[in-house]
Amino acid sequence: MCGITAIFAYHSSADPVRREELEKITERMRPRGPDAVGTWISPDRRVALGSRRLAIIDLSDDGTQPMFDVEGELAIVFNGEIYNYPELRASLERGGVHFHSHTDTEVLLQLYRRDGEDMLGLLRGMYAFVVWDARRRRMFVARDPYGIKPLYFADDGSVVRFASGVKPLLAGGVVSPARDPAGVAGFFLTGSVPEPFTICRDVRAVEAGTSFHVEDERGRGEVRRHYSVAEVFRQADRQRVFAGLMKPEIFLRERVEESVEHHLVADVPVGLFLSAGIDSSALATIASRVSRRPVHTFTLAFHEFQGTEDDEALLAERLAREIAAPHTTRLVTRDEFHADLPRIFESMDQPTIDGVNTWFVSKAVHEAGMKVAISGLGGDELFGSYPSFRKVPRMVHLARLPGAARAARMVSHHPKAAFVGRFGRTYGGAYLLQRGLFFPDELPAIIGADTAREGLERLQILDLIDSAITPDPGTEFGRMATLESSLYMRNQLLRDADWASMAHSVEVRTPLVDAALLRQICPLLLERGSECKGALAAMLPPWVRGRRKSGFFVPMREWTGLPADATTTRMRGWAKSVFEYCDMGRFGTVAR
Amino acid sequence: MTVLVLATDAYGGHGGIALFNRELVAALALNSEVVVVPRIVPHEPEPTPPGVTFVAEAARSRFAYSRAIARAALSRPALVICGHINLLPVACAIARHPVLMTFGIEAWKRRLAAGLNRLVHRCRAVISISALTRDRFGSWSGYRGPTYILPNPIHAERYGTRERRPDLVARYGLEGKRVLLTVGRLAGEERYKGFDEVLDVLGKFPPDVVYLIAGGGNDQSRLRQRADELGVADRVVFTGGFPEGEKADLYALADVYVMPSRGEGFGFVFLEAMASGVPVVGSKYDGGREALMYGKLGLLVDPANPAELRAAIAEQLERGTRRIPDELQYFSFEHFVARLTMVLSSIDDRSRAS
Repeated sequence: MCGITAIFAYHSSADPVRREELEKITERMRPRGPDAVGTWISPDRRVALGSRRLAIIDLSDDGTQPMFDVEGELAIVFNGEIYNYPELRASLERGGVHFHSHTDTEVLLQLYRRDGEDMLGLLRGMYAFVVWDARRRRMFVARDPYGIKPLYFADDGSVVRFASGVKPLLAGGVVSPARDPAGVAGFFLTGSVPEPFTICRDVRAVEAGTSFHVEDERGRGEVRRHYSVAEVFRQADRQRVFAGLMKPEIFLRERVEESVEHHLVADVPVGLFLSAGIDSSALATIASRVSRRPVHTFTLAFHEFQGTEDDEALLAERLAREIAAPHTTRLVTRDEFHADLPRIFESMDQPTIDGVNTWFVSKAVHEAGMKVAISGLGGDELFGSYPSFRKVPRMVHLARLPGAARAARMVSHHPKAAFVGRFGRTYGGAYLLQRGLFFPDELPAIIGADTAREGLERLQILDLIDSAITPDPGTEFGRMATLESSLYMRNQLLRDADWASMAHSVEVRTPLVDAALLRQICPLLLERGSECKGALAAMLPPWVRGRRKSGFFVPMREWTGLPADATTTRMRGWAKSVFEYCDMGRFGTVAR
Repeated sequence: MTVLVLATDAYGGHGGIALFNRELVAALALNSEVVVVPRIVPHEPEPTPPGVTFVAEAARSRFAYSRAIARAALSRPALVICGHINLLPVACAIARHPVLMTFGIEAWKRRLAAGLNRLVHRCRAVISISALTRDRFGSWSGYRGPTYILPNPIHAERYGTRERRPDLVARYGLEGKRVLLTVGRLAGEERYKGFDEVLDVLGKFPPDVVYLIAGGGNDQSRLRQRADELGVADRVVFTGGFPEGEKADLYALADVYVMPSRGEGFGFVFLEAMASGVPVVGSKYDGGREALMYGKLGLLVDPANPAELRAAIAEQLERGTRRIPDELQYFSFEHFVARLTMVLSSIDDRSRAS
């Protein structure tokens, strides 16, 4: 896990790369990688690479980045972990490759030499990396299937700059911090800025599951998609026959166990975020069985939740005792939240309405002297536990009935009811209704008429949502799982997990967000849907199984004085507060 | 002593279970009298080893089967080995505590008949052909008795590296081609052998790479259509059912044996391919990984990942040379007999102790 920088002055009209810019961008990512720093500028000063390293695999200096091959033809900066690197390395060694370190970074470099961009299908892990190929004078840029690891770029037509965050890119002092109305509109519509837009007009996200080249003189080439959740669901439809081969509990357990085992690969101790929910409890139980070292678990406790159903501390402690895991319950107070708030906003790479829970649990992990933690993030998207899996398909059916819009307005005073007629008839629209924070008509009052108009026009939010389920995954479950994992999980949960954990120099690993796992269990998911969650829960004691859904709730209402009404309305208030703090003036200042 | 083996099929059968049963009976017959009562005898039975009574007429009708079972029961066998979980009611009618054999998907999930699931707990021991089958069986059945692993044996001397038979090369149009081979039943209701997965990646290889599918079954027309849709129909050859006695010649045609399956209990065909010196590609997620000694004898892939499958096939094609791995000795018939002897002795000791 690291922060990476890459600059390529690909057009001959561009000025040579400046070391000062490279260092400023890289230095801004210090919390992402406190263990080492490395920068490199090519002799002709057209290419620059930088890295801040958080050493997790091969702690020696051999893992320092940028990393070069022996021939001096390839160089790489890499952020993430490749969990199946031992088997990839073995395959390369059988082919005669000699390695000089024990890192997954070197495996990537050699795999690129052997397979070029086809290498991406072989990787199991989370990654964002840039390879400089001096032989062909081009860069190869790739990001993992789900977008667990971030990568952003700014391309001014002659120079392209990459970094692991938006703020680091701005820190170089060249990229304009001017806000992107599409990003602003996207934030207020969904609670996070939807990819590929960012909050800055000149910065874009490298989209999850894609790769591309940047060629000398020609610049960015065609974007190639190497993974699509929608496509996996579509393909799995013809593999349903496998779902009946064995008991779902057995199959799921085997596959999740395998994923957890992969996610435990590290040369440092691995911790685990333990709420009292099914996903994290199952992961903790599995990890305690398959790990060679004890897996330390972490839970948050709040005075405000004591004695209520939201208190996860006691149950988590009980489970930790049963699986013999060293455990830490970290008490977080209102005062600490307010004291941390400036740092939270400073670390928040783009405006978002979530991430505070990950901030504090990562802080606890850091305080325990650890730098890797497993999270149950992604379980709801994988197993269909969100209400949206029921509500959105139902809404699509109902909204197509005559008079549905009027009926919705009459029976509900919820702000969303007024929009059922306009949005509810398609999956994209119904999903926006379900997940949306504000609606397009409300934006002018919040961000101004001009910004709203331009933002909505560029954003085309419904097209953006629909593109996630293209090709059609084929089933209701497939569509919802694809929408949730390609939009909410990617833009909100994973991005928040990244900035909030990296701020404490902690790497979060997500065994339930795993392309290989999805491919394997997809036929079963289509056959059994959300019953699969029950199959996972079967390994847990009844007092965990019977509990209502939970997962690191934070008493935001009590801490922020926001209204005690429905969650959506409350989060609207929080979104305005966040944006106010992250507005462009401060955003730019904080960035620098 | 007399051992009674209740088998679905053995002599005259073609599948993996029949083959295993023949080996089991041959090994048992070295020290015991063996009576084998089959449920079916699809083809002319092979000659049986000395000391083996194969009651072929039991397969004629239900009545004949019942009569054969009654006679076998009267002989008071010292040990009853139940060769399929579905035959457990019969085995339990003869013996209070039979030994159950488990192979693959038939034992991976609870059976529909609840009574059958209860009978499992009467078994004095369960023998599985792989750790995977043992674990999957254990996780639904809750069986707490002794379990043993007894993988298929291979008579490697019957295979070996050999030249391609010109008549077969001509028959299948393999001149100048590099051949990927899968041997297995083409069962439309199961589809777990991985034929589809190989077809999916075939187009990524140069045109001289062809796919030879050896086996009969009801899924051939669908696979042919799929090959057509993928534009590789001219590179896929179906042999249909292949004579058991010519299998060594079949393997000699192959450059890579590939079976990215999901439902193999063990995958005896991998042993045959390796005994023919053919590099193999198997699955990480079924019993095939045990035939490949968890990757020591061949490459393991995730069947759901086309990139991984393609890379593994490419690596094995690149290898080019035929070599029979020394480690294949682990699966020799001699080792099989030694393991079986230990298993039976352990079962016997436990029975006496209890």
